[in-house]
Amino acid sequence: MRPRPWGWTPAGRRRYAILALWLGHLGWVVLGHGHSTRWQALLGTLSWPVQKLSAPLLRSRANRAEHTRNLERAQYELAMVRQRLESLQMENARQAPRLQEADEAIRILGLKKQVPLEMKAARVMVNVRTAPFGGMILDQGLDAGLVRDQGVFCPEGVVGRIWEVSQRESSLLPLDAYNSSTAVMLAQSRATGVLQGVGPGRAEIRYIGSQEVVQVGEPVYTSGLDRVFPRGLLVGYVVGSRPEGPELQVDVALAAPLNRVHQVLILPTQPRIDLPVPAPREGKVKP
Amino acid sequence: MSQPAPLAPVWRCALGLLCFAAIILSSPWPGPQAIFQAFLVLAVASGFESPLVAMLWAAAGGWILEGSLRMYPQMGGTALANMTLCALTQWHFKNRPPDHKTSYWGQLAAFSLGHFVLTHLLVRLTAGPHAWGMGWLWVLLTIPVWGTLSLRLHLPVRRR
Repeated sequence: MRPRPWGWTPAGRRRYAILALWLGHLGWVVLGHGHSTRWQALLGTLSWPVQKLSAPLLRSRANRAEHTRNLERAQYELAMVRQRLESLQMENARQAPRLQEADEAIRILGLKKQVPLEMKAARVMVNVRTAPFGGMILDQGLDAGLVRDQGVFCPEGVVGRIWEVSQRESSLLPLDAYNSSTAVMLAQSRATGVLQGVGPGRAEIRYIGSQEVVQVGEPVYTSGLDRVFPRGLLVGYVVGSRPEGPELQVDVALAAPLNRVHQVLILPTQPRIDLPVPAPREGKVKP
Repeated sequence: MSQPAPLAPVWRCALGLLCFAAIILSSPWPGPQAIFQAFLVLAVASGFESPLVAMLWAAAGGWILEGSLRMYPQMGGTALANMTLCALTQWHFKNRPPDHKTSYWGQLAAFSLGHFVLTHLLVRLTAGPHAWGMGWLWVLLTIPVWGTLSLRLHLPVRRR
């Protein structure tokens, strides 16, 4: 006789039990929505020691993760700040020459207002003063009405004179050139002489009598006798003197920074020896 | 493959109880808990000779797991998934007993993934949306360990 698998036999009863167990769970899952808080509370009590043990570990892990996040955020912000700083430094370096030029232009403008002469501003395009037969090239020439032997100076002092003029540029003979001669005078003794260049930034005054009293640090001004510069423009300062025969050789450190001058003023041709006194500004004159 | 001695039912029950304890005690760490759960369902419970006993062990494991998590508003999904996968595994290994370790690991990996997907589907049906976690990865990565341990649990099936 063939056994009946779903009959009321031990094997059949086991099958019914399995089916009831599975269908019961399925019905509970699909239909049942009873809360199991007591069951959860019981198992929670059983796992309480482990929960307590793991709480500090989990907390420390969370703290470490938080610290890592903070560190990463700080590193990101630091990188952004560094990047910003680099871009600002690059921008600053890019703007530095323009700022310097603007400062010089402002000073040139102030000087132009102080000296009551018709002067032209020019820019030094090339400065190869230290090279053999070098000099300085200005960006103004015949087009701007420049001619030879016009005096050139900057806010710090006298720079030199126009040496050669082309259509759009002109070359400048600086004061420290060996073939440069400028009529100067000492500030205290009023002794006059001729300034000749002897090297970069240095010059010496000749044709001063050995009986003159010259002090180190004494200012040297233009005397105006060469009709290139008017009287009273600062040339430099005495750094030493020594007698040579009937003369007194006076060493002068030039006041104008010839290495880094960018903006200059060009004096008119054959200016007056004495500068006219500038008219007082309105509003500042006391009655 | 060499045939070691079959595991006595008493030891099998002891192993199941140890799995219960491990599931409860590893509740703060879902990764290791998933390993014990998979070991209980796919190795210990499915190795019992009686399908009814096997399903009871699997269902108990599911209820214990969900109860220890204390996360789900309604429970029962894991128990149903455990019973289903336990029955499938038992049927599979009864008809195709494991004959090589690596193929056995592959079969366990397939059953583990099926168990994972079915569990989450039924838990979603029961309790709603929930986090899936990375327990499946823990289970798959540790199959060479617990799969090798459980090989002996399924070997007696061939002799039945």
